[in-house]
Amino acid sequence: MKTAIVLTVAILAQSIGNVTLSKGMKLISGGSTDSADFSLIMLLQAMQSPLIWMGILLLILFFVMFMVSLTWADLSFVVPVISLSYIVNVVLAHQFLGESVSETRWAGTLLICLGVILVSRSGHSTRDKDAYAVHHETRPSQT
Amino acid sequence: MDGITLVMIAIIVLSNAAGDVLITRGMKKMGEVNSFHPYHLLQLGRKVLGNGDFLSGVFCLAISFFAFISVLAWAEMSFIVPATSVVYVVTVLGAKFFLKEQIDKLRWAGPFLVCMGVVLVCLP
Repeated sequence: MKTAIVLTVAILAQSIGNVTLSKGMKLISGGSTDSADFSLIMLLQAMQSPLIWMGILLLILFFVMFMVSLTWADLSFVVPVISLSYIVNVVLAHQFLGESVSETRWAGTLLICLGVILVSRSGHSTRDKDAYAVHHETRPSQT
Repeated sequence: MDGITLVMIAIIVLSNAAGDVLITRGMKKMGEVNSFHPYHLLQLGRKVLGNGDFLSGVFCLAISFFAFISVLAWAEMSFIVPATSVVYVVTVLGAKFFLKEQIDKLRWAGPFLVCMGVVLVCLP
């Protein structure tokens, strides 16, 4: 339960944080879609934008939740769960930034989630390891 | 997608991967967190600030962050966020070639799917 709450907060904070950062940067760049219009001064302006700071705070919250979960859970369990944030990110970008997301892009996002789950798949999940420890406590090893 | 966007994605991905490795190594030295009492969190915070791995990890993540918000200035978030997932492919290649880890067939399916997904996301 502790893990579920911490990881849900992490996913939401990460996704909402990205939307906030995106909104902030687009306000600063005037909505230009050309990378040539970008200048480093915009990063200084970003440091004065409340939206950017809100995004940073949300990402720090994500970061703390992620780190804290790693002190008891395995990376190979936490990473696939956090990968769901790819879908949440695209959903929020569509809802709140009005980005038109093509079917190809949705399909790509789903494939990425599946891929991340497979990448981090491993023999022992956090829960398996607990079961393993209990099992070996009741039956000491021969070595 | 232009060249600058591509270079920026590479910077985001590589500094992010380096940051994650360093921070994971740092946090494993901290021990399990079981108390969310402000006093204990403060204690953890103080311990973490004296941890070299942790601090260099944060520095890498800061570079990744500024590269990320720069790209957000001109690119769509629903493109840039999935595109940065190539970090998982980099991690698996790093594990194979630098750490000499054995990677079975099913595990290769992961990076392959991520690549396919990124290609789809990059299509107009």
